[in-house]
Amino acid sequence: MTLYPGQVMKGQNPMPLTPPPNSNGDSNDSWDENKGFCESVGPTKKPQTEPVRRARKVEGGIFFPKPENAVTIAVSSRVLFRTEKEQKVFEEKGVEEYLNYQVQHENEPLAPGPAFPFVKALEAVNSQLRELYPESEELFDIVLVTYNHAHVGVRLINTINHHNLFIERFCMTGGSSPIGYLKAWHTNLYLSADAEKVQEALAEGIAAATMFMPEKQVEVSETQLRVAFDGDAVLFSDESERIFKAHGLDKFFEHERENEHTLLEHGPLKGFLEALGKLQKKFYAKGHRLNCPIRTYLVTARSAASSGIRALKTLRAWGLETDEALFLAGAPKGPMLEKIRPHIYFDDQMFHIEGAAERGTIAAHVPYGIAQMYSHRKSTNSAK
Amino acid sequence: MTLYPGQVMKGQNPMPLTPPPNSNGDSNDSWDENKGFCESVGPTKKPQTPKPENAVTIAVSSRVLFRTEKEQKVFEEKGVEEYLNYQVQHENEPLAPGPAFPFVKALEAVNSQLRELYPESEELFDIVLVTYNHAHVGVRLINTINHHNLFIERFCMTGGSSPIGYLKAWHTNLYLSADAEKVQEALAEGIAAATMFMPEKQVEVSETQLRVAFDGDAVLFSDESERIFKAHGLDKFFEHERENEHTLLEHGPLKGFLEALGKLQKKFYAKGHRLNCPIRTYLVTARSAASSGIRALKTLRAWGLETDEALFLAGAPKGPMLEKIRPHIYFDDQMFHIEGAAERGTIAAHVPYGIAQMYSHRKSTNSAK
Repeated sequence: MTLYPGQVMKGQNPMPLTPPPNSNGDSNDSWDENKGFCESVGPTKKPQTEPVRRARKVEGGIFFPKPENAVTIAVSSRVLFRTEKEQKVFEEKGVEEYLNYQVQHENEPLAPGPAFPFVKALEAVNSQLRELYPESEELFDIVLVTYNHAHVGVRLINTINHHNLFIERFCMTGGSSPIGYLKAWHTNLYLSADAEKVQEALAEGIAAATMFMPEKQVEVSETQLRVAFDGDAVLFSDESERIFKAHGLDKFFEHERENEHTLLEHGPLKGFLEALGKLQKKFYAKGHRLNCPIRTYLVTARSAASSGIRALKTLRAWGLETDEALFLAGAPKGPMLEKIRPHIYFDDQMFHIEGAAERGTIAAHVPYGIAQMYSHRKSTNSAK
Repeated sequence: MTLYPGQVMKGQNPMPLTPPPNSNGDSNDSWDENKGFCESVGPTKKPQTPKPENAVTIAVSSRVLFRTEKEQKVFEEKGVEEYLNYQVQHENEPLAPGPAFPFVKALEAVNSQLRELYPESEELFDIVLVTYNHAHVGVRLINTINHHNLFIERFCMTGGSSPIGYLKAWHTNLYLSADAEKVQEALAEGIAAATMFMPEKQVEVSETQLRVAFDGDAVLFSDESERIFKAHGLDKFFEHERENEHTLLEHGPLKGFLEALGKLQKKFYAKGHRLNCPIRTYLVTARSAASSGIRALKTLRAWGLETDEALFLAGAPKGPMLEKIRPHIYFDDQMFHIEGAAERGTIAAHVPYGIAQMYSHRKSTNSAK
């Protein structure tokens, strides 16, 4: 794990004798700096029984942006970390056993879940943003939203610190629905393992998607955040999808051609692409267009010549652009995504999500639109 | 206003010719049953009031239970005698509900549910009206209480002297007043207390579930961390918290009240009501979860307390969160947060304790801890 110069670990507290494996080794500097303060604790050679962590340094940068200024990503504990064992205890033995289990294991950090690389990449982008715009609050802000009770909070905090994540905002709802709080957090994107909660959020107008653990994990970039989007029923509304499903491909092409100059309605993730675009422009303004730390991709089953214009004109009219656009005309998305290696890929059809996951792509399902009425095994990978 | 089957209005006294608007009309039954005994008083079947040491006693002043701005004005502009005259003249006009009114109503709703599950128990909420007022004003207060169908049978009308001495005698678990000085006196005596304010607008709160929200530092916990933050800044605060992760925080003024609520909650859990418990508690703190959350959570756990929900805001504004929670009361030590909450209609109560009181509320910034 690379640490960037501007990242929060600068000037670490030198006290722990077994520094975490990825410390920056800037110890001389920080030792002198902090020596006076550390006198009382002293350079004792105390044996450490549990992993020691440094305290974060947060002054001299914006680390706690106001929710309305930041791009707020709400993640649930079940997608940020792997909690299959714990889920099993809960389902088989009930709440009390589950809470006991969590408390007993609270010093054992959980393993990373499907949303983990995405969150790490968000932090990488944040440190680059802070370098360029030290006073700005336009950063990614990650909030942990969970049904869990406060008891489980200790384990989650230990896990977050173990993995050196910077997640300071928590909503532990102890069983009630977290959806009400999402609006209060000005949430731009909500990621959960629970399709029902995701649907509730979508109904409230909040971009949301269900995440799944891929069967294998491919490496993703640690320096560049890559987000891939399906077109219809994700960035755009599902209107075209409806026509295709009701009347077939030819009617769909006709309809698209007739309405070439009519913009498509927006879909549930348009707002999130917009938020990414706003941050991208900040990098462009400082000359980072070619190697921008945020890269977006459109990966659509649409056919370019027959139905591509409407999609592109709509994006342009919204003032949005994706860095790359792949019109597949029905070709499988799996191999393309494998090459892109996004930190997250949004699609409305489970068929595509599963295809992506088979190849190790981190995919998130947006349960929106007409495609939800079709079982995922029945819908075919067809051209539009 | 919904009346629950177990509530106090069963078997109303049929004697008054103008019965209170919400009488249950069970007149025949109770008339026969109690005729002999109740000749002079009438067959009211109000429940017994619990012994103060067994109950969770909430002392409220008349100025937070009801709206008394007009009356206050008369008192301030024209003096005691005019004020007393005014009150006596208007004694048949009930006062309007004040900021503590929904809270007290919710306490009664919880009581009726407790009585259903534990008919013999005295572990209930007990509400005592504590007021500087003279006995003259008592009639108006009683009329108002009856008009609103509240069950407040214990009064302390001190006619001008300090009520603080009585609070201990009542085994008061929580004292709510409009007067910050009295609240500070109570805190100095070790009694949980807070100053209440009328919110600018009123949002609806639940009539079936009591919701109480607490700030962390200087409310549930002592103000020790607040002091370090204010003296040395955020980084030093985080360092201090991490070094002392395994040391419990000292308790704050409202720890005892959370404890009392927890005790009643366990009674509901014991009867299988954990998921839809009629009492729900919330921790709404400016603390940062990963950097300073562990100490707070471990401290609560060591005290055997838990809140149902915990929101670590890391400096994000509390107003929008509280608006979603809709508590019947929210306790915070900083006026900045109280005002932010009140702007959105949240009923907020100020706990004038700790280092934050030395900073004018307009100067303190909404910052992460």
